[in-house]
Amino acid sequence: MAPQTPAVVMDNGTGYTKLGFAGNDSPSFVFPTAIATKGPSAGAAGGTGGSGSGRPAVANKPSFLTGGAGPTGHLSGKRGTEDLDFFIGDEALNASAGPGYGLHYPIRHGQVENWDQMERFWSNSIFKYLRVEPEDHYFLLTEPPLNPPENRENTAEIMFESFNCAGLYIAVQAVLALAASWTSSKVQDRSLTGTVIDSGEGVTHVIPVAEGYVIGSSIKSIPIAGRDITYFVQSLLRDRGEPDSSLKTAERIKEESCYVCPDIVKEFARFDKESDDRFKQYQVQQPGGRSVTVDVGYERFLAPEIFFNPEIYSSDFLTPLPNIVDTVIQTSPIDVRRGLYKNIVLSGGSTLYKDFGRRLQRDIRHLVDARIKASEARAGNAAKSGGLDVQVISHKRQRHGPWFGGSLLGQTPEFRSYCHTKAEYDEVGPSIVRRFALLGGPGST
Amino acid sequence: MPAYHSVFLDEPNQQVIGNFALLPLRTRTRGPAQQLPQMTDTTELDIEPSHTSYDPLDEILSLFRANTFFRNFEVKGPADRVLIYGILFVSEALSKIRPGNSRRDAEKSVMNVALDTNFAIPGDAGFPLNQAFEAPKDRNEAEILRQYIMQMRQELAMRLLNRWWLSFQKRKFMGKQL
Repeated sequence: MAPQTPAVVMDNGTGYTKLGFAGNDSPSFVFPTAIATKGPSAGAAGGTGGSGSGRPAVANKPSFLTGGAGPTGHLSGKRGTEDLDFFIGDEALNASAGPGYGLHYPIRHGQVENWDQMERFWSNSIFKYLRVEPEDHYFLLTEPPLNPPENRENTAEIMFESFNCAGLYIAVQAVLALAASWTSSKVQDRSLTGTVIDSGEGVTHVIPVAEGYVIGSSIKSIPIAGRDITYFVQSLLRDRGEPDSSLKTAERIKEESCYVCPDIVKEFARFDKESDDRFKQYQVQQPGGRSVTVDVGYERFLAPEIFFNPEIYSSDFLTPLPNIVDTVIQTSPIDVRRGLYKNIVLSGGSTLYKDFGRRLQRDIRHLVDARIKASEARAGNAAKSGGLDVQVISHKRQRHGPWFGGSLLGQTPEFRSYCHTKAEYDEVGPSIVRRFALLGGPGST
Repeated sequence: MPAYHSVFLDEPNQQVIGNFALLPLRTRTRGPAQQLPQMTDTTELDIEPSHTSYDPLDEILSLFRANTFFRNFEVKGPADRVLIYGILFVSEALSKIRPGNSRRDAEKSVMNVALDTNFAIPGDAGFPLNQAFEAPKDRNEAEILRQYIMQMRQELAMRLLNRWWLSFQKRKFMGKQL
């Protein structure tokens, strides 16, 4: 047999799309999941799904009114080219800044909302960015937890019928994030049981996974994520009257200087004592060519603090992240709870702050210990608990966790046997993708 | 994790007027407060809560920045009310400083706030937190409370002058101001 081509791993998130080949360390392309098409901007698309809804209006007269033979050929030719007139990713952002193009985000809340745009997004991803022949490659796509099976069928229809790809596997992002954590030295047994904390730009999810299956009823999401941290940094800069408080500046400060502290009062005191080390300065080039200096102070530790003390940022959401994680695990089946506490895995860009995992582990451990102590007291101290192991796993592949997990599993020799092939699809139809065997589960390497 | 509370909540033998604790202060200003010894072995920035000279005002200044971010605060006892009052006073003093003031002007306006004798105490109609604070029983008690709070204000203002906290001008602890 000829040497196998590597599987293509595509992780389409609400904010960013990660593209690359299985076996690689990091994705080849990371760009916004955005598409710019001719015509007005989002909203007009309606989001009803199905083909044609997002297409620009082209023919203003049905062909039979144009007088039969001649012009129809011209019109359909025109339709063809307009369809191809679009950009994805960073190019889409640039194109939409100019006239004539509208910007659309085909994925909302993790799920595909506009299939026509998504199909065109994928076609550009495959042919323009990755430059592969889909017939020669197996594909590993990701989906959010609780994705309806109909969406899987739509995906399969596009992948097999439009692109004619050789084989397809669709994996749940949270499960892949668990697989990505196997690179950490703290993980001894490669189990697919654990709690995934996935925090990206828009929303933070806490997802319990038992032996590769998501416990859907216990998933919780938190309306605090990367974008909120940026806004909070911006509001702190504005309070202080800094010369530049644009979102871009706030974002840079967030990414470069923020960290998680053990206790904010102590951290304030540390800033008083070691002010030279702690306060930073940041140069901003303003559009006019002027350069201004922005001081960076308490926002360094206050910004990520909104995960642990949401009260300082929002007035309607007040539950700290450690409490949410604890509730999620407590509402999961009792026989998997121990495994869920022992393997809490971080994933996504907003979990990258220094000491994020450490603080989370400490706070969850406090909650657990307090509960054990209380129940021991209720038992009259007659029975002692053996204690519960709480472990939060931080690892090097956190940023693109799901993608890296896909890359890891996609390079295993048995990966292809888990996929559905084009031939199987032709035999059974789209419903074949409703079920996949569990990749990386018990029995595989 | 909710907002930070006072470490003086469990202090024994508190003198209380209404439900406001008159805790000992480390101050040279005159008034009804019991005096704590001046510290010799440490500085204002380094003092630990376990130190014998640690007073509620040290606590107010150390918790001020953290607590101003919180909107909800559950009052757990008389000492917490001292903390609340102190934090609100610090906010008020900071709000008197105009951006662009020189250090001298800033010091002057803060001291003006502190020395102003015309301020509301718990029980007065103009006091913003009368739901959480009880009025003193009689005029005599009211006078002692007023003098105690006066002491707090002056000492706080003096210690505040060593800090640089203008960015906290606009935050309102519990959404209230004095």
